[in-house]
Amino acid sequence: MIHVKHLHKSFRVHARQAGWLEAVRSLWRREYRVVEAVKDISFTIEKGEIVGFLGPNGAGKTTTMKMLAGLLHPTSGEITVGGFVPFEQKAEFKKMMSLVMGQKSQLIWDIPPMETFLVNKAIYEIDDRMFRETLDELVELLELAPLLDKPTRSLSLGQRMRCELAAALLHRPQVLFLDEPTIGLDVHTQEKVRRFIVDYNREHETTILLTSHYMGDVTALCDRVMIINYGKLIYDGELTVLTEKLAPYKRLEVRFAKVPDVRWEDYGEVVEIEDGNVALRVAREKVAEVSAHFLQHFHVHDINIQDPPMEEVITRAFQEGLHDS
Amino acid sequence: MRRYVRIFREFFRACFVEELEYRSEFLGNLVSSFFGIGIAILTVNIFFYQTDQLGGWAYADVLVLLGVFNTLRGMIDFALRPNMPRLLEHVRRGTLDYILTKPVDSMFYVSFRHLVFWRLIDVLLGLGVIGYGLMVKRYIPSLFDVLIFLITIAASFVLIYSLWMMLMTTSFWVIRIDDLSFIFDSFFETARFPVGMYRGWMRVVLTYVLPAAVITNMPALSLLGKWNMATALIAVSLALVFLWLARRFWRFALRFYTSASS
Repeated sequence: MIHVKHLHKSFRVHARQAGWLEAVRSLWRREYRVVEAVKDISFTIEKGEIVGFLGPNGAGKTTTMKMLAGLLHPTSGEITVGGFVPFEQKAEFKKMMSLVMGQKSQLIWDIPPMETFLVNKAIYEIDDRMFRETLDELVELLELAPLLDKPTRSLSLGQRMRCELAAALLHRPQVLFLDEPTIGLDVHTQEKVRRFIVDYNREHETTILLTSHYMGDVTALCDRVMIINYGKLIYDGELTVLTEKLAPYKRLEVRFAKVPDVRWEDYGEVVEIEDGNVALRVAREKVAEVSAHFLQHFHVHDINIQDPPMEEVITRAFQEGLHDS
Repeated sequence: MRRYVRIFREFFRACFVEELEYRSEFLGNLVSSFFGIGIAILTVNIFFYQTDQLGGWAYADVLVLLGVFNTLRGMIDFALRPNMPRLLEHVRRGTLDYILTKPVDSMFYVSFRHLVFWRLIDVLLGLGVIGYGLMVKRYIPSLFDVLIFLITIAASFVLIYSLWMMLMTTSFWVIRIDDLSFIFDSFFETARFPVGMYRGWMRVVLTYVLPAAVITNMPALSLLGKWNMATALIAVSLALVFLWLARRFWRFALRFYTSASS
């Protein structure tokens, strides 16, 4: 559905030194600096996939997404989305895709969301029957019924986000770009939005590319992630593989009746030892063996095996890079 | 084309609903519209206590001109003023991105998405003053006068739209200028009076460089039966040329936006 080959994007930015003298000087003499926001990115996304697009701020996520949506002209490289070249901005292309930006709203502020839906109906030339059906479905999935006739300005952030999603999906796009759709939402609403995205994807086989800062979004929604840093794609693959690769260990927490006197280093890396609790970092393949050993030989109150937190894994990916992959 | 009429109707409907959210504003604006036109007529009357000609125009003629000015301003406030300054906001806040992903002509969308329909009252009041002026003059315009009037006032509207649109399009580069509209406003205010009233270089500028005066004077003269085909044709072709320029400039600006924004 989405094919990207050797995509590059560079911007010419005005480089200015601080200080007012420099500011005045820049009136007639400007120095420009070329910033490469996206460097040689290639990937393919199949129909119906949900792919998470991760990276720290300024890594090039939004730039890439804007190029996919046809809002930015690539410096070089090829993009096709559903067979269209996005930056040609053909009406047929625009009708098959949709963009939702968590930080920007397309709803009309002073009037109920339903009015925005009707404006979109006219713009996308949706016929009455299809509009009815789609709206009914979205109203049910997103629980919009009580919100439809309230002025948008009186809705909470979470309610508004649900309406944004509905406004973006009325024309049944085949490709959906979500730029931080859960930003600023409380945990409960985030959960609701995630569940909706999963259900909607399953129902309609919509291809979804999602950027987010919340790891929860990615672990709940995406089997596949792409990590971008300094404009380069440093990982593209399954989320579980990434975890194993970056974190070839698990966290083993054991609560003993009485802490035995052993050399903990033989089992794994010690995280902390406190009262009766011992936390170790144990290599993945040894976890089962080590915990069995503890249970057999010592009096154990409680035992707990965990994957390292996703945040930790990704942060490590950003810091250390994944050059060996 | 039919599709755009339908979309425009939808914009109109949504704006109507939006206006009804603020019913009290409606009343306030009604009062201020009447007050504004009343003051304007009073001013003209005060002028004519001192003289019986203003830039070569008699009292009734100036009333017709005032009516044309008010009508045109009503049209501008109805369709242009609510939209033009918004472009700046769209660029600054990035909501232009939403407009660009919609399968609709972006210039059309940013130009007509917002309509303030109660401003049509000014159009009606303006037409009323035109009628009053004609009555004072005891002149009944021929069908042809009216036709030329409609053509020239439409040309004026298109010309104003194009100039303003070009001015606002510069916001792609100068997004820090807060409200470019005031430049436009001061320019349009000069159109309130007969161009013959201005002297020397002012008159040259207002006729040829910034044809503010021509914008209202020509439709008024048409209604008074003093039109000529050549000037009407020039007005129409000028409007079309500027519309074309505005469109080219918009396209150019968009290309800049999509290759440079982040």
